[in-house]
Amino acid sequence: MKALIFDIQRGSYVDGPGIRTTVFFKGCNLRCKWCHNPESRSTSAQILFYKDKCISCGKCAQVCPHGLKKCTLCGKCETFCPTSARKLCGVLYTPDEIVSEILKDKPYYGNSGGVTFSGGECMLNVGFLEECLRLCKSSGVNIAVDTAGNVKWASFERVLPLTDLFLYDVKCVSPDLHVLGTGADNRLILDNLAKLSRSGAKIIVRVPLIPGFNDDEREFVKIADLLSGLNIVKVEVLPYHSMGEHKWAAAGLSPTRYRVPSASEIEKFRGFFAK
Amino acid sequence: MTDRIRKLVELTKAGNMYNYPRDVEFDREDLFLLRQDRESKRLCEFILAQEPVITEYQTMTGFFNCSSVVVGDAFRRMGHEHFEKLLKDFYLKPIDNLSTFEWQHATADYDKVLRVGIKGIVAEIDAALDKFVDDEQIEFLKALKRVAETLIMWARKCSQRASEAASKTENPEYKRNLIELSESLKRVPENPPATFYEAVLTIYICFSADPDSVGMLDRYLSPFYFKDLSAGAITRENAIEYLQELFLMLQSCTDKNSKNFTRGGESHFCIRGYLPDGEDGFNDLSRLIVESLIELPTYIPQITVRWTSKTSRETFRFCMDCERKDTFGRIAFQNDEKRLKCFTGICGFPFEKAVGYTTVGCNEPAFVGAVTGSNSKINFLKSVETLFFKMSDEVISAGSFDEFYALFTNVMSADMDRACAYDDKFNIERSKDINYLSSLLFQGCVEKARSLTQGSADYVIASPMLLGITNVIDSLIVVKQFVYDEKSVPMRTLVSALQSDWQGYEDLRRTILRRGDFFGNDTDLSNSVAQRVYRSLYEYYKDKKNIFGYHFLVGDLLGYNEHHKWFGSKTKATPDGRAAGDIIKFGLGQSEGRDRHGLTAYLNSVAKVDPFAIACGSTVTNVSLDEKLITDDENFEKTVNIFETYFRLGGVHFQLTYVKKEDLIKARVTPEQYGNLRVRVSGFSDYFVNLPPDIQEDVIRRTEHVE
Repeated sequence: MKALIFDIQRGSYVDGPGIRTTVFFKGCNLRCKWCHNPESRSTSAQILFYKDKCISCGKCAQVCPHGLKKCTLCGKCETFCPTSARKLCGVLYTPDEIVSEILKDKPYYGNSGGVTFSGGECMLNVGFLEECLRLCKSSGVNIAVDTAGNVKWASFERVLPLTDLFLYDVKCVSPDLHVLGTGADNRLILDNLAKLSRSGAKIIVRVPLIPGFNDDEREFVKIADLLSGLNIVKVEVLPYHSMGEHKWAAAGLSPTRYRVPSASEIEKFRGFFAK
Repeated sequence: MTDRIRKLVELTKAGNMYNYPRDVEFDREDLFLLRQDRESKRLCEFILAQEPVITEYQTMTGFFNCSSVVVGDAFRRMGHEHFEKLLKDFYLKPIDNLSTFEWQHATADYDKVLRVGIKGIVAEIDAALDKFVDDEQIEFLKALKRVAETLIMWARKCSQRASEAASKTENPEYKRNLIELSESLKRVPENPPATFYEAVLTIYICFSADPDSVGMLDRYLSPFYFKDLSAGAITRENAIEYLQELFLMLQSCTDKNSKNFTRGGESHFCIRGYLPDGEDGFNDLSRLIVESLIELPTYIPQITVRWTSKTSRETFRFCMDCERKDTFGRIAFQNDEKRLKCFTGICGFPFEKAVGYTTVGCNEPAFVGAVTGSNSKINFLKSVETLFFKMSDEVISAGSFDEFYALFTNVMSADMDRACAYDDKFNIERSKDINYLSSLLFQGCVEKARSLTQGSADYVIASPMLLGITNVIDSLIVVKQFVYDEKSVPMRTLVSALQSDWQGYEDLRRTILRRGDFFGNDTDLSNSVAQRVYRSLYEYYKDKKNIFGYHFLVGDLLGYNEHHKWFGSKTKATPDGRAAGDIIKFGLGQSEGRDRHGLTAYLNSVAKVDPFAIACGSTVTNVSLDEKLITDDENFEKTVNIFETYFRLGGVHFQLTYVKKEDLIKARVTPEQYGNLRVRVSGFSDYFVNLPPDIQEDVIRRTEHVE
């Protein structure tokens, strides 16, 4: 059993409480226009090409067995590119391989940290994920699952008993707006969130703040209303940033540009969830 | 900060508190005296010809600087004829591109002076005089006695000056201070101090005898502090003022015109760590020392906090909190567990003695009242060069990594043997100087009637500093990974590539740099090779001693000088992707962009590298962090957790820098705009723009760890 992983980030401060190792799965079934990790969308491995770093030395074409006409993901162009303009994104891992990476930082996790399975959408490959969770659980590692929730409830049922914390994305409540921003309906997402809440799971909800998409007080009132009826530990507002922008082009996609919210805006929208 | 201290800060930062040595005319007929008689007579005349720095703002005085007309203190070594000869011929001038002569550090035995006073030491000298029969030794003891008595007379002179200053000041508080100072100087350092104030004053004056490190302030001052505090004789605020005045003297004993004035190295001292009874000693005075120092806008001294597994999270957080607030970068941390394992295990010192270590200079470990010597810098990468350039036939025919590694250890042992031999030669030359001033306050000098330059104390360590240790590890990793494990690069090809300095082998070099499983990535391959190198160092050094019988502990720091550049410039290409002439790395703890798995992976690699604790010499781990990891309180808490874990896993030391890489790069272009960037390098901190270019380059190359 193997899955495509595009990064295992150790010593992360940002993916849940404490010090965490974050495992990024490749493949996502949403198409959020502001996505910070666009290289995670595709379910196959790919070569990312950072055009701004390229110095047109031609080394990649020289070392590529197919002269860059065809890609077999051999990674030679990455190895020989002198400026790291080419990067292989997506490596196959077994659950054991992933868990042995996770365990290397176990001493740092303490009482609060642990592993965060993220993506992409880690819940898409639920069989694989479940196996990883089982191994982590038996090694006593605290487990967080970072999900957008757009999967069958049955998948949640499989990971629920093994998960200590869900980091659950809520982009907006209005269904039409959700389709517009992510390409998908949000009924399943909100439904799963409600069920998850009823199941007693520990949930941190994360709401992206995207100017031009959901920076609307009415929308935030709706989100706050929805969440107030649920059993949520904490709501985090994650402001849009443009640091992921260069990755869009690298993955051969064209980004939608948003404005970066000001500190006062961030403060204001965080206020909707102040306890 | 009180107004009085604020005034002293101004004077100190203006350079006005520096005590310029006065010139002295000696009687030409001194020439006919025996050497020890002449040298000590002149030293005493010199001391009494000095004038203390005294202003109305002081409550302490009495520090003096020696000049080269006399055989002065052991730290600066003016007038030490043989040492100066060594300096001229060998300092900063590597021999055979293998070894360079270096300075050494020491801490006077303040603990003893505080217990018995100079009077008590004179009594010991008298007792020794009855015991020894050798003329030279008797001469030496008589010289020591003369110096001891001179220090007491010097204090009397300072008392007189304080009294004169008191009569001139209008301010009643200042007048009271100076009168008290004058009275106290009639008692100390001749007698053991009776109060906290007198204890600090004793250290203040005695620092002249060895202006290097104040050792372990909280340990010797605690009894005085708690006694005075409970008797209501002082307040916490009084104690802060006294400590601050001491720290300002430590700053002002360096001339403002020296580049070392802003360089906060050469001044480390420790707080707490284990007490002889096995308890963690961090107490209110330790806290007060940290608070007192960081309130001062100065560069010197610097504190190393000794962490133990019994140090509470709250205490560690407090110290790290002071560290993050201290824009002068004066606090470093080290791990008692690891150091004590080394001192008790490898050196065989009893635990209750081992806990008496401190740090001096740029974080070199040393015992109070003893010299830490043999700090020669060694080009460790030379052994790898020898393998590929002088023994290439043997290397090519090595059938396995184990066979290759055996060749490496043979060369390494031969190189280390040579470096040790040079070191002994340096020490033999040094021992021809006789030191009278510092020897008075060092262990074993009276008891053995022997100058500290001749190796006196029982608890002493030597710390050769191996530069290029990461280059060595990475080179061996490359050989194992590409030649033996993957079999993707034949050894013959690697040898040719190095011998042609990578010309025509650019692709191979790039592959190595890109795919090499280098140290700091916390992978099984890189960790196992690194640990193997440390095991070899352990095997080599564990039973070895220098000419004075000091145990060798491996260090890796650089000090102020660009040894890594000089060594590198003459070292040919090495398998880690380094080209001929490139600088070599220093400090195991300097991750320089080759670690790709983040802070925890890097710290894990460093913490696990030396389970044998042989590398508890002068070693530093400089970590560059994004400021965000400490400014936000939630992140700060996580950072505290990370470094506490790093110590639990076996890390020896760390100190932090928070400057952004892009700012460093800009600072090189327009230094005038970045005069305030302070960074940690080797074991000290300094303004970035003041550093030599190749040390600047090292700081820039470090991996910056972000969220």
